[in-house]
Amino acid sequence: MRLYVTAAVVSLLGLADALYLTVEHVTGQSVRCTIVAGCSEVLSSQYAVVAGVPLALIGAAAYFGVFSLATLAAFGYRFAGTLLALLAVLMFIVSLWLIYLQAFVIHAFCQFCLLSAAVTTALTVIVLIAVIFRRKTA
Amino acid sequence: MKRLLPFIIILIVLGAAVGSAMYFTRTTPGSSATRNNAPATSATASNAQPAPVTGVAGADPPHTLGSPNAPARLEEFGDFQCPPCGLFHPILQQMHNEFGDKLQITFREFPLYPNHQHSVVAASAAEAAGLQGKFWEMHDLLYEHQNDWKDKFDVRPIFEGYAKQIGLDVDRWKQDSVSEQVARRITSDGNRGHSMGVKGTPTVFLNGREVAFENLPAEKLRPILQAVINSGGR
Repeated sequence: MRLYVTAAVVSLLGLADALYLTVEHVTGQSVRCTIVAGCSEVLSSQYAVVAGVPLALIGAAAYFGVFSLATLAAFGYRFAGTLLALLAVLMFIVSLWLIYLQAFVIHAFCQFCLLSAAVTTALTVIVLIAVIFRRKTA
Repeated sequence: MKRLLPFIIILIVLGAAVGSAMYFTRTTPGSSATRNNAPATSATASNAQPAPVTGVAGADPPHTLGSPNAPARLEEFGDFQCPPCGLFHPILQQMHNEFGDKLQITFREFPLYPNHQHSVVAASAAEAAGLQGKFWEMHDLLYEHQNDWKDKFDVRPIFEGYAKQIGLDVDRWKQDSVSEQVARRITSDGNRGHSMGVKGTPTVFLNGREVAFENLPAEKLRPILQAVINSGGR
């Protein structure tokens, strides 16, 4: 189904974004402050790490999960579509929480984190439309 | 074949993702940019560790905590308006408490103006407090209350409040903050950082060798300090 192909392609954007953030986090490139560029208060905050694992890496794993499930769904695996909807909604809720943290707790935004939130929102919309569409045609 | 296709696609993407992440994690310069600035030292180049970076002298006397004979001598180039420096402050305090006389801590000014608009004023405030022997008191207040002032337009009344709080002669402190002496101290520290290859803050050297940024969390820094102390300061 075309919607799942779209979801798979969009998830690749999220995967690339999350991997970029992971590399930045691990190497400390954007985390440190320099004369020319702003440092990331978000990536250097305590919320950027969950139990020793960079949050960006967890995000990358989640996007990879979305990609895998969307690919399977596009090839007609029905269970994948259901799991995908659950994962997307979970990621959407986490994204909302992370935006809340950036806005009200850390008081700083990180553009690649916002891009991730946008990608997740797009994914959630696509996946929910796919689920509704499937119900109607079934 | 058709049944395997989705799994093949998934495996290819997984391989590409893991491969590119590992490639970029390894090749990003990280701390290596600063390593070649040391004058080529003779003899013992076979050691895998980079040679210590010497650099030009900074402000004299420097601001230090702990014993000058400590086996571990840590030098931080910091900017009071830099959030990761603010986050590093409690870690360093904790290390100071844990290692005591085994660890000497030196603070060097590296204000990232104009990225941080108040960084020079903050550095001046701390240096001027230093002329009355209260550098560390001001240093601590500036870092601990960073969020209270870093986004303000005029920070001087706030810093004046800190000066009062730590019992400085405020009039003298005000004059000193804009004095040639204080400006020269900041420039000297900056020159030292520059000569050691410092590009951003916080940059930390341990016995002259840069500690990679990713090793600055307490749980990673602690064993590194312990190893240096155990080896008697190598």
